[in-house]
Amino acid sequence: MDIIKRKKELVKEFSPMLEKTSFIAKAWIIFLIAIILVGLYAFYLQFQKGHVITGMRDNVVWGIYIINFIFFVGLSYSGAFISGILHFFQTPWKNSVSRIVEIMTVLSLIVGPIFILLCIGRLDRLHYLFLYPRIQSPITWDIIAIMTDLFGCFLYLYLTFIPDFAILRDNQDPRTPGWRKKMYTFLASGYKDTPTQHKRLHKIVGIMSTMIIAMAIIAYTVLAWIFSLTLQPGWNSTIFAPYFIIAGLYSGIGVIIIAMFLIRKYFKLDHYIRKVHFVGAGIILLIISLLFGYFTFSEYFAKWFSHKINDINLLDTLFSKYFWEFIFANYIGVLVPIIIIFFKKFRTIKSITFAAVISVLGLWLNRYLIVVPTLETPYLPIQDTRPEFIEYTSTWIEWSLSFAGIAAFILLFILIMKLVPIIPMSGIIDYEREPRIKPRILTQIHK
Amino acid sequence: MKTTFFKYSIFIFLVGLFNSTGSIAQENDASNYKMMFSFSTIKQTDNSRSLEVRFYGRNKEDRKDNVPVFDAEISFFNILNDEELLLGTAKTNNEGIASIILPKDQSYLTDEDGFINLTARFEGSEAIDEEEKEILVKDLQLELNLTEIDSVKTVSVKAFTINSEGEEELVDEVDINFYVGGMLSKMKIKEEVISDGEFEFEFESELPGDKDQNLTIYALIEDNDDFGNVNQQQTIKWGAPHVHAYGAKNTLWSAAAPIWMYIVLTVLLVGVWANYIYTIVNLFKIKKEGDNMGRRIRT
Repeated sequence: MDIIKRKKELVKEFSPMLEKTSFIAKAWIIFLIAIILVGLYAFYLQFQKGHVITGMRDNVVWGIYIINFIFFVGLSYSGAFISGILHFFQTPWKNSVSRIVEIMTVLSLIVGPIFILLCIGRLDRLHYLFLYPRIQSPITWDIIAIMTDLFGCFLYLYLTFIPDFAILRDNQDPRTPGWRKKMYTFLASGYKDTPTQHKRLHKIVGIMSTMIIAMAIIAYTVLAWIFSLTLQPGWNSTIFAPYFIIAGLYSGIGVIIIAMFLIRKYFKLDHYIRKVHFVGAGIILLIISLLFGYFTFSEYFAKWFSHKINDINLLDTLFSKYFWEFIFANYIGVLVPIIIIFFKKFRTIKSITFAAVISVLGLWLNRYLIVVPTLETPYLPIQDTRPEFIEYTSTWIEWSLSFAGIAAFILLFILIMKLVPIIPMSGIIDYEREPRIKPRILTQIHK
Repeated sequence: MKTTFFKYSIFIFLVGLFNSTGSIAQENDASNYKMMFSFSTIKQTDNSRSLEVRFYGRNKEDRKDNVPVFDAEISFFNILNDEELLLGTAKTNNEGIASIILPKDQSYLTDEDGFINLTARFEGSEAIDEEEKEILVKDLQLELNLTEIDSVKTVSVKAFTINSEGEEELVDEVDINFYVGGMLSKMKIKEEVISDGEFEFEFESELPGDKDQNLTIYALIEDNDDFGNVNQQQTIKWGAPHVHAYGAKNTLWSAAAPIWMYIVLTVLLVGVWANYIYTIVNLFKIKKEGDNMGRRIRT
């Protein structure tokens, strides 16, 4: 195979994706920026007036911000975990999804921690966390874990981008703007795909992929410990750490499937992101949903059976005030994906994506039910306090900032896709130059 | 079209899940509330007397929902038959409390049994009806003495009233409680009855007191039918000497964490960051090789 020629072909194939922006894409970008601006206005109001304009009060001190934080950080850790697995085991179909996973990992790790900052009533004292850290506190562990993981994920993402930056640098169309050429030259970091460079890069990517799997497990465990090391009913559980990891993977696979569906549809990448990839991801979603259902059942069953007063109060709240949310999160959100993916005849791209949407929404609600009802059922009965101080209802400020976070995630995803192809060209070349009988060229395989 | 409808239905359903009845703003209409007007008086340690009114509305349907009445003018009177002596006025604060302090040399109108009629009155407004409460109390003089005789710490009280001729009249069969002040609240140490106007007991406690070994001892007559609430207190250096308890140094609750925590955290961080540094070093080697190649090609 003539690698130089093949690289040119791939650059030619993917260049329109990088350089041209359709009217729909522009409209989407404007829409997303508008949502972010509304979010910024909401943040300004919150900063000016304080948390009184949110639904959070003395009793329910955490609301949907912390839920978004757990959700996004869970996405990131699951992305890091999946990406590490794909690279470590050299999974044959990794090229179709690896970049989606890597981008999701880094972006959710950027967006997620912003929500924890929104939970802080006195942002002006934020630096105290660093000036007076308490090593015994899981919050301190979490800050250290998130910062370490963020750096590692950035480094890992950059490493996986380098060969593509080099291909784009070496195969630019003469009409390509100068700033883009300079940017690729800088970001390619002198990579020429020589055997020693290739070997060295693969070695450090291998090490980093192992490292971020371990980091993902440790960091999400620490996040789970923030809850489970307290004595609060509903949180004080020995299985919370693995439960969080499984839950994170569940939402992560769901978001990957949704992203695969949208990218495939928008960029017309049917021959790269094929049904087999959806079925493969769907099977993983099935396995994880079974595990997630098992952990959820174990968690609530143990609480119900042990019949401790505060746990029973919590379960009563879940099955009365939050009945439909509980049903959606823990029944529909688990059973619907299982039913859809378990039966072979239901395994179409659309139905698998639908299952993924249900699983992501169910998982978000599951996080909500872990955080809010527990804070609404404290150990000591609260007297002479108005109901709205005990019962949490999110306000438009919180929703605006939540949607702004999602919009920022999507917008940054779109912008990164304008920087590098969503299908790694270097991965395709590596795959094609490996000696095998057939198939020889990935791009020629169709459904 | 059907698909779009389905999509929006799911969205509306999900948004609906988060709407709760708690989100509806509460209306504070006075007709929904039953007015509560309570009046109390305390004779304080400096022999002044405080008069306090708590004025609030209690929701007829939810007893927990208590809304204070703000800025209501309360007049305090001393009444004898038809004669009303205005003692002072005060407006309720944002907690619904209005209070005044009467000096220790305040003169009162008393009936033939020595009772003072104290009345608190709210004249009423457009929304809230008139309220009035009265209290009948005798003006009790309570003396608290803390003395140490031959190393015996003795607490004694003397309680009496002063009749119209200015003579002391010792009181009898009056319940009195003794407390020691704590960080958060008072701790009861004795519950007794004053006979013939006096009572004393030996203070045997080995309580530590504050950092200077000071203890505050309270003698309180509480909710007595004749005398109401009378307080006396004194602070004295009767606390037991402090013995410094040197706590464990490296624990979960001490300033310094357990040693193993530092070790584990350091090992983990060094392990991870060493790998990052190794990766960055290799990245520079890749760049260096690329730069060298570029120079060779140019030359």
